[in-house]
Amino acid sequence: MKQAESMITVDSLVKRYGNFTAVNGVTFQVQKGEVFGLLGPNGAGKTTTLEMLVGLRKPEEGTAFIGSFNIRKELQKVKEVIGVQLQSTTLFELLTVEEILQMYGSFYPKHLPIAELIDDMILTEKRKSRIKSLSGGQKQRLAIALALVHDPWVIFLDEPTTGLDPQARRTLWDIVLKLKKRGKTIVLTTHYMDEAHVLCDRIAIMDRGELIALDTPETLVRNLHAASAISFSVSSEVDLNEWAKVEGVTKADCKEKEVVLYSDDLQLTLTSLIQTASERQIALEDLQTRTATLEDVFIHMTGRSLREE
Amino acid sequence: MKAYWQLTLAQLRIFIRNKQVLFWTLAFPIFLMVVLGFTLGKGGGISVTVGVVDADKSPQSHELLSLLKKNKALSFEAKNTKEQAISSLKQGDLQIVLQIPKGYEERIKQKGAGSPFALPVYYDETNLTVSQVGQQLVNNAIDTISKKQTKYKPSVVIQPEGIESLHLSYIDFLVPGIVAMMILNNNMNGVAGQIASWRERGILRRMQGTMLKAHTFIAAQITARLVLNGLQALIVLGVARMVFGVAIRGSWLSVIAFVILGTLAFMAIGFIIAGIAKTPESAAPIAGFLSFPMLFLGGVFFPIKDMPDFLQPIIKLLPISHLSTALRETMNVGVSFASLGMEALILAGWLIIAFVIASITFKWE
Ligand SMILES: Nc1ncnc2c1ncn2[C@@H]1O[C@H](COP(=O)(O)OP(=O)(O)OP(=O)(O)O)[C@@H](O)[C@H]1O
Ligand SMILES: [Mg+2]
Repeated sequence: MKQAESMITVDSLVKRYGNFTAVNGVTFQVQKGEVFGLLGPNGAGKTTTLEMLVGLRKPEEGTAFIGSFNIRKELQKVKEVIGVQLQSTTLFELLTVEEILQMYGSFYPKHLPIAELIDDMILTEKRKSRIKSLSGGQKQRLAIALALVHDPWVIFLDEPTTGLDPQARRTLWDIVLKLKKRGKTIVLTTHYMDEAHVLCDRIAIMDRGELIALDTPETLVRNLHAASAISFSVSSEVDLNEWAKVEGVTKADCKEKEVVLYSDDLQLTLTSLIQTASERQIALEDLQTRTATLEDVFIHMTGRSLREE
Repeated sequence: MKAYWQLTLAQLRIFIRNKQVLFWTLAFPIFLMVVLGFTLGKGGGISVTVGVVDADKSPQSHELLSLLKKNKALSFEAKNTKEQAISSLKQGDLQIVLQIPKGYEERIKQKGAGSPFALPVYYDETNLTVSQVGQQLVNNAIDTISKKQTKYKPSVVIQPEGIESLHLSYIDFLVPGIVAMMILNNNMNGVAGQIASWRERGILRRMQGTMLKAHTFIAAQITARLVLNGLQALIVLGVARMVFGVAIRGSWLSVIAFVILGTLAFMAIGFIIAGIAKTPESAAPIAGFLSFPMLFLGGVFFPIKDMPDFLQPIIKLLPISHLSTALRETMNVGVSFASLGMEALILAGWLIIAFVIASITFKWE
């Protein structure tokens, strides 16, 4: 049964492309007023999951509810209460900001006052500019404005900050937090851990079409059982087990010649590491220590970095 | 309804702001018209010689002949026997033979009693365009007579002056063809290219995420394109009139009706192509593959009758043949919409079938 407060209920959604299963039985719930983050490496199935929820792809199995509307049976009602910003969209480039908002507004029974929405999205100066001439950040804010034009309950944002400079990303964060304050429910995907940490109340980590973790950012980091991370690179590959034997190491990850060790006792582990290295005559390069972050959680769980080069 | 207007408006804005496309879709037909018009336009007028076999030799038959002779586009040759006339027709000296049989006057005087009197007209089937023009002229004159005889109101009588100025040259033939070509290009090729590229770029997909319905979107596309095509056709006709003095002899309404029918039919075909084409890059060649033969076979630049016999059955099925014929008959000869029913029907048939297929194959993504 659905909980009273839950705004989105996802029940074992499955999406296949031919023999390939892009999303394999994903189940989760999003509470009203929550900012919910979907994280995962490239191809994890984030976009596919999101687009099933907004009715752009048909799930093979499972179902989902937005509010009380079934995405399979009441799509038109679902569309009325959700706003979407897709990962890859272009808009009519020859229209102006104002014109396209007016047009999208007309697709719904009622819409917000366009001028206010433009002010909210910090596009006031670009009101009469053609979409073609907008910068990346401005285009992204316009895409979000289009998602908000009919004042939906739930907003889906697929990688809203990818490709933006730090300044523009922060502007977008402010917008998302402002929407949260207004009581909107937001589902977003991102590749940036700091962003997920700042924005999201809860985070779902996806990998290869499955949900592998779901919790608050703090709990996810705590569950790593490692306060610190020690990273370095070596000139020739060393068996992972060797590193796990270093004193105090709770977890060890290595990808080719890059090694990350996690530990609750930084001093102990560092001393032991240096010792091991000199005994075996291994040169440690770029030795760094830091506090463990979501990024570490992610790397540890998926064995992959978020943004694969 | 709001969405429909907004989308129509948006599409018109996009048309107007896309200066290059706007320019070339207009410049190309006008350029073609001017070049072909000046190089080929003056010579090769159509002349129609009518052979008359007057077996009645009554005052009534003389009246008919004198009325026909008022028409300067026609020249006449009296022949003594039908056989003589037919053999000249076969040699190409005559385009039409009109036979006034014995008893014509008596029948006319019975004033509408019984079935209408049929005047036999013979024509050369291999030279359809010319003989059709001729037939139409003869018909008009005969109409005048029969209406006078049955005391119709004079307002219905076809004005002989309109017919007198008929001297058709290649440019007269060309202009309706150019308008037909423009309709074909802008709609079939235009829709196919635009929709396919919008789909590729995810523009349609984003709209699918809203409450917008596919039929609203399609209806707005149609409206915007009708407005644009109507204006473009007007401009081309205006240039044709100013530069070459090409006039519309038939009714404007009829021209507009065929412009609309043609636009709808070719747009529907364009939607099908957009549905079939996997990428925008493949939409253009597919549209080109279909439009190129149509332009050459369908009576745009060359008369349909000049096409090889074995192609005629195919040509008769092409929508462009009927559009160019209908526009030509209306503009050059002044044929009424009612007598172009066949053309209208076939275009409507294309329109309906294509729209059914298009709505089945239409995909947002
Ligand atoms: N239309 C499609 N046809 C076939 N396979 C597809 C299709 N769309 C997505 N996939 C595959 O499904 C998997 C999940 O894709 P999806 O776009 O959901 O990933 P993602 O998590 O959003 O990745 P990214 O972070 O790169 O955006 C990928 O392996 C992708 O190749
Ligand atoms: Mg994605």
